[in-house]
Amino acid sequence: MILISFDIDGTLEVGDPPGVLTMAMVRRVQKEGFLIGSCSDRPISAQRAIWAQHNITIDFAVGKMMLPDVKARFIADVYYHIGDREDLDKRYALDAGFEFLWPQEAIVQPWFL
Amino acid sequence: MTPQYPHASMYRTTEGLGLWAHRGKVAAVGVGHSPTARRWDGNPETCVGAWSILALRKAIADAGVAPDQIDGLILDPVTTTGAYWPEGAPVPMDVVNAFKPTSDLLDGIAKLSADWILQNMPELTNIQFVMYAPRCMSHAVVVAAQAVGSGLTHTCLVLKSWHNFEGRYYQGGANAQDAIDGTSAISRLWGTPASYGTALQFAEYCRKYGKTHDMMAPFITNSRRNGLMFPEGYWAQHRPEHLTAEDYLAARWIAKPANLFDNDIPIMVSAAYLFTTPERARDMKHKPVYILNHASSRGTPRSLTPTLDEVEAETSKTGRKLYEGAGITAADLSFENTYDGFTLFHQFHIEGLGYRGMKHGDALDFYQTDISISGPNPVSPSGGNIGSGRSRFWMHTDCIQQLQGRAGARQVTGVKPEIAISGGPMPLGGNFTVWSATPG
Repeated sequence: MILISFDIDGTLEVGDPPGVLTMAMVRRVQKEGFLIGSCSDRPISAQRAIWAQHNITIDFAVGKMMLPDVKARFIADVYYHIGDREDLDKRYALDAGFEFLWPQEAIVQPWFL
Repeated sequence: MTPQYPHASMYRTTEGLGLWAHRGKVAAVGVGHSPTARRWDGNPETCVGAWSILALRKAIADAGVAPDQIDGLILDPVTTTGAYWPEGAPVPMDVVNAFKPTSDLLDGIAKLSADWILQNMPELTNIQFVMYAPRCMSHAVVVAAQAVGSGLTHTCLVLKSWHNFEGRYYQGGANAQDAIDGTSAISRLWGTPASYGTALQFAEYCRKYGKTHDMMAPFITNSRRNGLMFPEGYWAQHRPEHLTAEDYLAARWIAKPANLFDNDIPIMVSAAYLFTTPERARDMKHKPVYILNHASSRGTPRSLTPTLDEVEAETSKTGRKLYEGAGITAADLSFENTYDGFTLFHQFHIEGLGYRGMKHGDALDFYQTDISISGPNPVSPSGGNIGSGRSRFWMHTDCIQQLQGRAGARQVTGVKPEIAISGGPMPLGGNFTVWSATPG
């Protein structure tokens, strides 16, 4: 089982600024059985609204410092966080025991292709 | 025309000055806002200069006054507190040449001079008085009130504009240098976030009065709700997202106990007002809103950051100055619109005013009651910076619109809008105005 946490702004196409990862890519990994959700500075209610607008049922939506909660809540073989910020994505991810991918690294992963 | 800076005598900074000599003799009539954006997109028509012109023209049209009747202009030439043109980055000459530039090529892009405005608004043929009021609209408003009251100008445009660029706020300018001088060398040496001083005061406030950060949640949700009813605002225009208590409480700390949503979002926006005399206002398009008084805080802390005791003493003093000069008491306030960018000092302002009988330490309990626009005790009906983005002027626009009865969906209904106070920014270091639906 793989769990992927998506940052929104600068990472997903719906972000501000838009990122390179499309909602179609998110749907693809979800279809593969991945656990997915968002970890963003956007309000949690706004994160949920974004996913709902795109008819994607997520497993979690959390604030930036809540990745440890996600790890405690879900059992997976590997945990990824994808984001565009050194301080707010990479650091939080590594501190929480997640693997970290920049959006341009993530986009070439086999699961998204 | 060389702009003047306000003389110290234009401010009311001490108690015991009695009624303001120009009480009820200055009126705001017109309001104009540009659109908002998170950051500049690089186009000439959306640069800070272009949006300033747009806001000014809207204010003129809103007041229904002929441009050649306008004889004064007061503005802030600084259009940011934390977004600087990157050192060495080429100046976009297509933008520069889309206007009549000044000798400073970044004028109208990363700053704003009176010359740039006047060169690009040829309809303003009769400007006799130009003054700079740096830092925020609160400053420009009190200077304009004093200028109109004392006859330096009879029909005056008041402008505040903000630019924002790509990149992180407060990471450029002096903060990007290897060395830092002056007081900043001590106060900002460790790269503290802008809200840290307020966070320290709030932490002490919670300790002193037995309150918690969680008790701020109703204020936050109320502010965003009000902001989403402000069609001129950023969140209403771009991301109509409510902020729930869950959202607020789950946000990460910026400078504990100040979290992400205790800080405002930097945006691009301009606003302009038209101030005039009551006699001239009679012939204009909207009901005048009268200024009963203005007062300024010039308190200085004993050390690097004001203590809670200093904050409380200063906000109480500001409240007394405002009431004394306006000839009113706290009981006369219909609502309050003091500054909120950072949220954690809003309670200092309203406790200092004694709003609804509040004393120091009462505000967070007050926030647990009905503070909505439909209740008897509206708090920040503008929604402030939390409701509409970092501008420091929503509170003034809201006071004018509320007292004119044209605040739309945001119009207060639980009280009759008669007298209100707006102003800021800081508890120590701010400018405040008493507005009234009648000349008093």
